[in-house]
Amino acid sequence: MFKKQGLALAVMMSLGVLTAGSANAQTQGLPPLPDAIKKQGMLRAGIKCDYPPDGFLDAQGKNQGVEVNLAKQIAAYAFGNADKVELTCVTAANRIPSLQGGKIDVIIATLGVTEERAKVIDFGESYAWGHSDVLTTQDSKITSLKDFAGKTVIVMKGAWQIGWFEKNVPTANLLKLDGVADGLQALLQNRADGFAHDVEVLRPVAKKNPKVKLIGEAYMLGTRAVGIRKDEKEWAAYVNAAVGKAKKDGLVNQWIRQYVEPDMQDMVIEYWDMNKAPKTAS
Amino acid sequence: MAQSFDIDYVIASVPALIDGLGMTALVSALSITFAIVIGLVGAGFRVFRVPIVEQILFGYVEFIRNTPLLVQIFFIFYGLPPLGLRLSPFWSAVLALTLWGGAFNIENFRGGFVAVAKGLREASQALGFNRLLYLRLIALPLGLRVAIPSVLNTSVSVLKNSAYMQAIGLAELTFVAMDRLSSDFRTLEMFASIGLIYLVLVLFLSWLARRLEAHLQRPFRTA
Repeated sequence: MFKKQGLALAVMMSLGVLTAGSANAQTQGLPPLPDAIKKQGMLRAGIKCDYPPDGFLDAQGKNQGVEVNLAKQIAAYAFGNADKVELTCVTAANRIPSLQGGKIDVIIATLGVTEERAKVIDFGESYAWGHSDVLTTQDSKITSLKDFAGKTVIVMKGAWQIGWFEKNVPTANLLKLDGVADGLQALLQNRADGFAHDVEVLRPVAKKNPKVKLIGEAYMLGTRAVGIRKDEKEWAAYVNAAVGKAKKDGLVNQWIRQYVEPDMQDMVIEYWDMNKAPKTAS
Repeated sequence: MAQSFDIDYVIASVPALIDGLGMTALVSALSITFAIVIGLVGAGFRVFRVPIVEQILFGYVEFIRNTPLLVQIFFIFYGLPPLGLRLSPFWSAVLALTLWGGAFNIENFRGGFVAVAKGLREASQALGFNRLLYLRLIALPLGLRVAIPSVLNTSVSVLKNSAYMQAIGLAELTFVAMDRLSSDFRTLEMFASIGLIYLVLVLFLSWLARRLEAHLQRPFRTA
């Protein structure tokens, strides 16, 4: 499915280049914007608000982050103005219902590509990859994933780590919470033995907080893509092309340098480079 | 995108929903019971204007009534551990709902006690009843009957508010529904199902209260 879309995209993009003379510079190389979105006059995107550096709220309560900028950039491509975007904070649990319910038109919220999700929504092309890790308290004796048998592990509601633990460590007790702050708080209060999440989120947490550490065992290798309602192929093609353009033009790397601490920038840039993604999925 | 209502999915979700329902029922039943006890005792103290205790109860009722329940839940679950009290999600939920319902019940029962005619109190004083005797023999039997509808109201709210407990990871009905939703995405079916279950629960609770009310009204019924 992705391959087919990719081909269509390549055709469209070359067409775009051919007609570049007539297109305005902003939308150069992008397929036509679907009428429904054009009529709406703005992009309604679901983004994360508790997931630095991809989507978070700054000290003033404003949305910031790499994916947030990506959403703004798509609005800039589509309407020539990066402010023509309505950002909605979504969580792992409510992002797909929000999309299906028509509250948002695209999910750009660390959405992992899974088979179950592909049954109800369409994914764009994967734009980043990553894996999971588990955070424990500094004095924890747990060193590997197997040690969580019979122990309690905090997970985010609707996150893909849930499926992994149910399959691979079925005796682990899962405490499902809403946000990263809740998860860390609960871990520090010894309500659980570990906090499983994407390594991209946990690493900065572990770095900033001397009371916790990562067990450092990678699992749940996966890729991330935008989520679009089923049967909105034209819109999917547009978003794919826009994301591809933002990456190709070096904007994404620029945002990563803006939001990620210097010593971790290279790691994150690698996560956003699909050519660097390990080929074997676990 | 347009999905039809999938009844098979609802049927397949029944076992999970029953687990959630059990937790909702247990937490609600405990909280409603404790809240009624708090309400009765608290209202007694307030009616007799017991110094200091009355002020404390007044502060407690105002605090609970004027802060969001979700804030109270988070305070109990995340805020108390640093003060040395670490409760499980289950007991955090029971404590939060009991304190919430108790505050409203104090007012409900107080209203009932106050509604008892003043002459009865004066008469009981004339007969040498002490406060406790007056409360037990006069105010409680009469005031209780007056308070039942509003206590039922509070109890129904306690039951419905148990849905907030999904925020602290308690596997009650709403949590189970949200949990299934986050992997199956059948929003319409799931929310319709739990809506119906809550409705049935509340109707059952109301039926119980009506039975109690009818039972208590018996001595006053004119033939």
